[in-house]
Amino acid sequence: MNKCIDTEIQELLPDLLHGSLDGQSRGRAEAHLAGCESCQEDLEVLRTVRGAAVFAPTIDANSIVRQIPPYRMIVPAVEQPKRTRMVSWLVAAGLAVAAIGGGSLVMSNQRSGLVTASSQTASVLASAAVQTPAIALATNLDDLSDGNLVQLMDEMDTFDALPAAEPEPVLAVDSGDSL
Amino acid sequence: MELINRWKSGDSRAATQLVGRHSQALARFAASAGERDGIEELVQDTFIRAFNSLDSFRGESSLRTWLFTIERRLMLDRRRAERRSRETVPVQDSDQVSEYGALDGLIAEEAQERVRKSLDALSPTQREVFTLRVQQGLSYKEIAEVVGSTEGATRVHYHNAIQKVKEFLRDE
Repeated sequence: MNKCIDTEIQELLPDLLHGSLDGQSRGRAEAHLAGCESCQEDLEVLRTVRGAAVFAPTIDANSIVRQIPPYRMIVPAVEQPKRTRMVSWLVAAGLAVAAIGGGSLVMSNQRSGLVTASSQTASVLASAAVQTPAIALATNLDDLSDGNLVQLMDEMDTFDALPAAEPEPVLAVDSGDSL
Repeated sequence: MELINRWKSGDSRAATQLVGRHSQALARFAASAGERDGIEELVQDTFIRAFNSLDSFRGESSLRTWLFTIERRLMLDRRRAERRSRETVPVQDSDQVSEYGALDGLIAEEAQERVRKSLDALSPTQREVFTLRVQQGLSYKEIAEVVGSTEGATRVHYHNAIQKVKEFLRDE
């Protein structure tokens, strides 16, 4: 038996089997089949395969329907307004200024060891906390609203990162060892 | 779409009709694709998932094609899970006969066994394409949607599959 080379007809055979071909295609397929043993054999194989598909269990539709939850329309989630790029930059700048200022204070404290500086630092922080409750209360700047952040930025200009005290003058001591 | 709209508006009978119309086709597809156990559970999961996401069904393909797509994904998930748990136990032919016999009172005939064996000789994709085409009567375009491939590729899979099945049945 020669193998059929009319792939178009071969592809139509399942549709012929299911009776889903229009009149013209059906006529063409049947005319071809009349003279093509290869396609006749294909169609017979398809019939056998289709007819053998009986080993699936019977499905109880009612038991499935009982498991289906009632319809709930999906409501699209309301998007929270996203923080703008500008505000993000402000947050980053605020964090950087706070870190530098805080670092400077700590270093200043360590170097001078002056009680006055410490008390001054404490007073600066205290005043800043009083002026900007957002700083005192918020442990995470992400928790601040945009308004609070803008307020924080404005008030940062008035912060004194270093104590206002003048450094004590360095006095030269003549030990008498000079050359 | 009419039945879907009826179900959305609270008509539970529409769900019964939808399930009744497509459940056997889904069961046959699962069985043809090599599923042996828990086909009813698989069909049930397919419908639950489908009904939970009916809003995403646009009606661009037929509902049955969409259901096949969901069922196929579930089958792949199952197989992956089985592979991970390494608990895959090869099913004996006699088990299948007794299981389905107990379920449906069917006796596996010689012709059915031959066909099943011939389908088992195909690659998973060939088997899916071939059974969707021959047993379910889906078009190549619909099959491509179900298996996530191109129409051209499904045609090639179909041609290769029928040649293999024909040779297998001829040699038996």
